[in-house]
Amino acid sequence: MKNQLHRIDLEMFEGPLDLLLFLIKRDELNIYDIPIAKITKDFLEFVNLAKELRLHSAGDFVLMAATLMKIKARMLLPIEADGDDEIEDPRTELMNMLLEYKRYKEATTTFSEMERSERPHYYHIPATWSPHQEDNTAILEDVKLYDIMLTFQYLIKNYEEPATHSVAVEEVTLSEQVGFLSGLLQANAKLSFAGLLEKFESRLVVVVTFLAILEMLRNRQVKVKQSKLFDDLLISRGSTFGN
Amino acid sequence: MEINELKQIVEALLIATPEPLTETRFHTCLGDSVSKIPLQEVIRELTTDYEQSGRAFFIKEVAGGYQIVTNGEFEPYIKGLFSKSGKLRLSQAALETLAIVSYKQPVTRNDIESIRGVSSDSSLRTLLDRKLLEIRGREDGPGRALLYRTSTEFLQYFGLNSVKDLPRLREVEDILAEDDQELV
Repeated sequence: MKNQLHRIDLEMFEGPLDLLLFLIKRDELNIYDIPIAKITKDFLEFVNLAKELRLHSAGDFVLMAATLMKIKARMLLPIEADGDDEIEDPRTELMNMLLEYKRYKEATTTFSEMERSERPHYYHIPATWSPHQEDNTAILEDVKLYDIMLTFQYLIKNYEEPATHSVAVEEVTLSEQVGFLSGLLQANAKLSFAGLLEKFESRLVVVVTFLAILEMLRNRQVKVKQSKLFDDLLISRGSTFGN
Repeated sequence: MEINELKQIVEALLIATPEPLTETRFHTCLGDSVSKIPLQEVIRELTTDYEQSGRAFFIKEVAGGYQIVTNGEFEPYIKGLFSKSGKLRLSQAALETLAIVSYKQPVTRNDIESIRGVSSDSSLRTLLDRKLLEIRGREDGPGRALLYRTSTEFLQYFGLNSVKDLPRLREVEDILAEDDQELV
């Protein structure tokens, strides 16, 4: 029961910096002169009690614990004053991180307030279909890189390699696939990516072809459209096609 | 063209526009029928009309253009149109990530994580899925990390005209001084 309480407590914090800021505030510590021994002890206590750390942030807490112990050790070492060199306080880097993080953490209050005040307002959104679309499969014109990546992930997941056992070196290059696509686009105004997939016999060819599309997209040799997320990609000639 | 005719045209454009209507887009839509009256003025006239006739919506200046949005008081009814009860809110982690991107953009994931001191993969993914952030190219340095920026949807979500309208990021000294006052 006690453990569970602490687990929940740690989940309140967005990360080790957040926990440190909490400890500093709770004990009214001076952020510019952090009592490192005390804060290390409190920090470790928190982390040790929380045995079931969320996996994705556990590493961040452990890393901070190590950093704190390193700073503590360095502060215990006698200071070797060699000449005029000013000796940097071992806490400086941590202090700067805390201060920087604090600024953004504070800013989230503003974002929360803006979010709350915008919540009750709903935008007028026109129907997505309009008779002026070139064809009603291409509604989303402004396809972003992220959308394309998601689509690729989705399509390749459903792509099963035919179960054959030939051992052959597949040689497929990016420029070959660029040439292949250019050829197809000479003959067809539009290509469907899903349609292309059906023609290929290995994942490697699919991946290289996808890279070729990205390359051609970058050079504006092709345009890519998508009607909705995860839907097929429609490839057509771009502004520099054939140059 | 007369103001009354223009008012009707702008109203029609606002109803049909899929994104904030900008001055430039407005002139493109008008085509040959040139207007000497700026969009801003037509909007002002329409706003007055709406206020006087007690409409349930108003014209909002957002993301560098104009869009029609409903008045806040109708939220309880509008909610019924959607299956989820009310709009989803962003988590603290997502808000922190968003705050860092909006003040420091373009940024890499590494920039975000070194400020937050915690892995920010999942909040980045949430924000990308909700289209509040977008990927805008890659960094020149080694590794060519992806660069993140805020989107038009971000401005709409927070009701901003531009990222320049964000309140200035406060200095640490101010925040600390306020903390001290709270303690007293």
